Amino acid sequence: MTHIHDHHHPRPGSAVELRARALETLLAERGLVSTDAIDAVVELYEHDVGPQNGAKVVARAWVDERYRERLLSAANEAIAELGFGGAEGDNMVVVANTPAMHNMVVCTLCSCYPWPVLGLPPSWYKSPPDRARAVSEPGAVLREFGLELGEDVAIRVWDSSAEVRYLVLPMRPRETDGWSENELAAIVTRDCMIGTGVPVARETAIP
Amino acid sequence: MSVGASGLATVDRALGAETPLPRDNGELVFDEPWQGRALGMGVVALEGTGASWAEFRRHLAAAIAARPPREGESGATAYYAAWLDALEALLAERGLLNHAP
Repeated sequence: MTHIHDHHHPRPGSAVELRARALETLLAERGLVSTDAIDAVVELYEHDVGPQNGAKVVARAWVDERYRERLLSAANEAIAELGFGGAEGDNMVVVANTPAMHNMVVCTLCSCYPWPVLGLPPSWYKSPPDRARAVSEPGAVLREFGLELGEDVAIRVWDSSAEVRYLVLPMRPRETDGWSENELAAIVTRDCMIGTGVPVARETAIP
Repeated sequence: MSVGASGLATVDRALGAETPLPRDNGELVFDEPWQGRALGMGVVALEGTGASWAEFRRHLAAAIAARPPREGESGATAYYAAWLDALEALLAERGLLNHAP
C-alpha cells in the first residue's frame, strides 16, 4: 500500500509537475519510455509491494494443513510454491504462534529483512535502540504497538540475520470460519508477520 | 506478480542507504501523483537507455546535495524534484536530451 496524501491539494500544475510531464513527453517521443511502461511500474509499486506476498503465504497455511506443515519444515520451498522468494527472501524460517507462545522478529545487528515476502521494513526496524529494546523487554515493546498478550503467553524473540530471516505465522482469528483465502490474506498485515501485531477479523472483510 | 528486475526491492537496494526513496513506516510516500510517476519514469528510462543504477545514484546524490528542501516543501517533494534533476543530468550526459534533430 502506498500513502497518497490527497488532502494536500496542490495548485494545479506546479512548476515541477509540469517539468515532470514535459520530460515524460520528450522521452516518449524519443522512444526511451512509454506511458504504458510507466503506468505498469507505478501500478506494480503501488499494489505489488508491501506484505501481500507474505499474507498469501499465511492465508494458505491457515486453510491448508499440509501446506502449513511444509511451510514450517521447509519455508523456502513452500513460499516458492506460491511464486514468491528470491534474493533477500532466501533462507526463510517460519515460526508459528500458539496460544502459549508469541513470536516476534527483530534484527539486532543490521536490518536483514525478507523483502520479497514482506515488502519494505517498518522504519523502527532500522533503529538500533528500538531493536535492542525488542530483545531486552519484548513485552513492553509489544504493548507500545498496542498488543497486549496474556500473562501466560511466552514471547520468543527471533534475531534475524544475513543467514536466516524469520516470518511469523500468526494464529487464525476464530471469527474467520468460512472465509476465503483472499479474505483471510486481507487481514494479515506486515506487523502480524513480524510479530508486532496479530490479525484482527474486521467486519469489512466479511463477505 | 513476481518481483522482476525493476521490482521495488531491486530499486531500494540500488539506491542504497544514502539516497533512499521517501517512506513512512516502510511504505512509499508520494505527496502528489507526479512523484510516483517520476519514480516510474526513472525506472523505465534507465531500462530504456541501458544506464546503470550506480550511474543514476551518483547523479541523484549530487542533485539532492545541490537542492536542499525549500521552505514549506515536504521531504518527498524535494526528493522527487531532485530525482528529476538527476534523471535530466544523466540523460544529458548521455546526449539524450539534445534538441530533436
